[in-house]
Amino acid sequence: MGKYLLRRILQMIPVVLGTTLLVYALVFALPGDPVKAMFGDKPINEAVAAQIRAEYNLDKPFFVQYLIFLKNAFTLNFGQTFAGQPVISEIGRAFPVTIKLALMAFVFEAIFGCVFGVISGLKKGKWYDSVILIVSLLLISVPTFVTGFLGQYFLGVKWRILPVTAGADPGFLDLLMPAMVLGSVSMAYIIRLARSEVSSNVALDYVRTARAKGMTNGAVTFRHILRNSMIPVVTYLGQDLGALMGGAMITERIFNIHGIGNLTYQSILKGEANMVVSIVTLLTLVFVVCNLLVDMLYAALDPRIRYA
Amino acid sequence: MTDITKPLPGQERYVAPLDETPLRAVDNVDETAPATSMWADAWRTLRKNPLFIISGILILFIVFVALFPGVFTKNDPNYCNLDNYLDGSRPGHPFGFDAQGCDIYSRVVYGTRTSLSVGILTTVIVVAVGTLIGAIAGFFGGWVDAVLSRIVDIFMAIPMLLGAIVVLQMFRTVTSLWKVVLVLALFGWVSTARIARGAVLSSKNLEFNTASTALGSTPMRNLFRHILPNSLAPIIVIATTSLGSYIVSEATLSFLGIGLPSTTVSWGGDISNAQSILRTNPMVLFYPSVALAITVLAFIMMGDAVKDALDPKSRTA
Repeated sequence: MGKYLLRRILQMIPVVLGTTLLVYALVFALPGDPVKAMFGDKPINEAVAAQIRAEYNLDKPFFVQYLIFLKNAFTLNFGQTFAGQPVISEIGRAFPVTIKLALMAFVFEAIFGCVFGVISGLKKGKWYDSVILIVSLLLISVPTFVTGFLGQYFLGVKWRILPVTAGADPGFLDLLMPAMVLGSVSMAYIIRLARSEVSSNVALDYVRTARAKGMTNGAVTFRHILRNSMIPVVTYLGQDLGALMGGAMITERIFNIHGIGNLTYQSILKGEANMVVSIVTLLTLVFVVCNLLVDMLYAALDPRIRYA
Repeated sequence: MTDITKPLPGQERYVAPLDETPLRAVDNVDETAPATSMWADAWRTLRKNPLFIISGILILFIVFVALFPGVFTKNDPNYCNLDNYLDGSRPGHPFGFDAQGCDIYSRVVYGTRTSLSVGILTTVIVVAVGTLIGAIAGFFGGWVDAVLSRIVDIFMAIPMLLGAIVVLQMFRTVTSLWKVVLVLALFGWVSTARIARGAVLSSKNLEFNTASTALGSTPMRNLFRHILPNSLAPIIVIATTSLGSYIVSEATLSFLGIGLPSTTVSWGGDISNAQSILRTNPMVLFYPSVALAITVLAFIMMGDAVKDALDPKSRTA
């Protein structure tokens, strides 16, 4: 197990390096001169501009800039934004909000996805199975931003159940609707996944054996059917936690949440290379760590898988 | 043949009901019928699937609208008159007008072509590039596979939306539809490559290849004549399923104001324009959203049906 873990962590290094290099190159190639933008309408003072370029290492070639970025990143020094704020503190302010949102969406999709999916899979062909299936298909087909607007219009404006937008420093209730919107598509996928897994496991031999030896219905369901059906669901959930953070961009824009997604979008528009690359580095780390955790969880769920 | 419904000795506690004894189906197979290929079998399954029929009719209709929008509306989607600001429906303009005074119905009709073109073009490129790279990685193995797989890992780790926005920001001034297609393909090929690699890997060492090699066929001939045709099914499945998601991505990017330019009629752009008047005139947002949802739904249902037909293990019914 320890050896496997070490190998996986070593394999993560080229992925993280490659991802940051790729994104750094992309952001580096963005058109527009950020130093020129800082002067706004005022005439550009070449001496000041040169000093700023030197300060932010903008005068050095691309690869040197990337290496400086990497060196600093190791000491958690992600540099400053063009407005003079340390990148790390901007991220530190936005990240907890997005984590809260992503975790709420994660819990929402995990609970409702599994419950509806399992019910649907166990009672295939019943009317509520069809309803669950159609609703999940609809949720997949309707883009997140449309789901968001529908939620805002009905829950927020028409029935006044939940706040329409979240704003700065949002609480649980403010984030409830955004989290449901963010998790809705994944929930639909989990429903479909759990349904097909459960319904194919119900007919397998070991379930028949368990029933034959006199096990109660509940015990068969929980001990045999569910445990075997959950492996692909857990894989999906693990990969989704990383994707939720990156995918929060749309939801955060619709509901005016000051999280990572909004920050990234603004930074890309402004050409804030440091900020964009720092966020992508962080999100990539979250993504690969989640994948690793999923693989570790496999062993716990499926005794046939043992990592040497 | 003995009656299999009668309990046998030792079966007092549990007797499998009739529908759990699939052996009867095996007994009923007509052995004199000519053998069918996997594709013929898949086609027979498809034809009987109501999901396929419904989605097929929908897709045919959507393609028809995209090819001949003039049949459905005589109005110019780009003719906007502020005198018609948010007017309700009237004869010839069933959905009314948006905040710029454009006819919503004709914009919904003409937006079909944009969405469908992006979806189909992206899928074609993704399948071509993804299959090629995946097949090379799976077929040659070794360091080629190691390098290509790491590249796939790197692209996988970048959130698609984030990467697409960064690249599109570079080409702000380009107004062509190809801009969005190429960016979606740039971040979309990896999942197809991964699946193609897996499919090639699993059919590489099967007996028919060894036999073909023994008969003197070259590795390249093996790859194109035997391995690729046998790896096509999972690639077709993922292509159909992801077509809908590319349409959603295009709409999302246009919604963010960074996809297609506002001069192109697109559902995402129209939805984006309607968001500011959501509270007072929700219907302006409603029509393009419904059109988008129906289109995506049709392709997802088609993907489900194709998956059921081509992947017998996932067959649900």
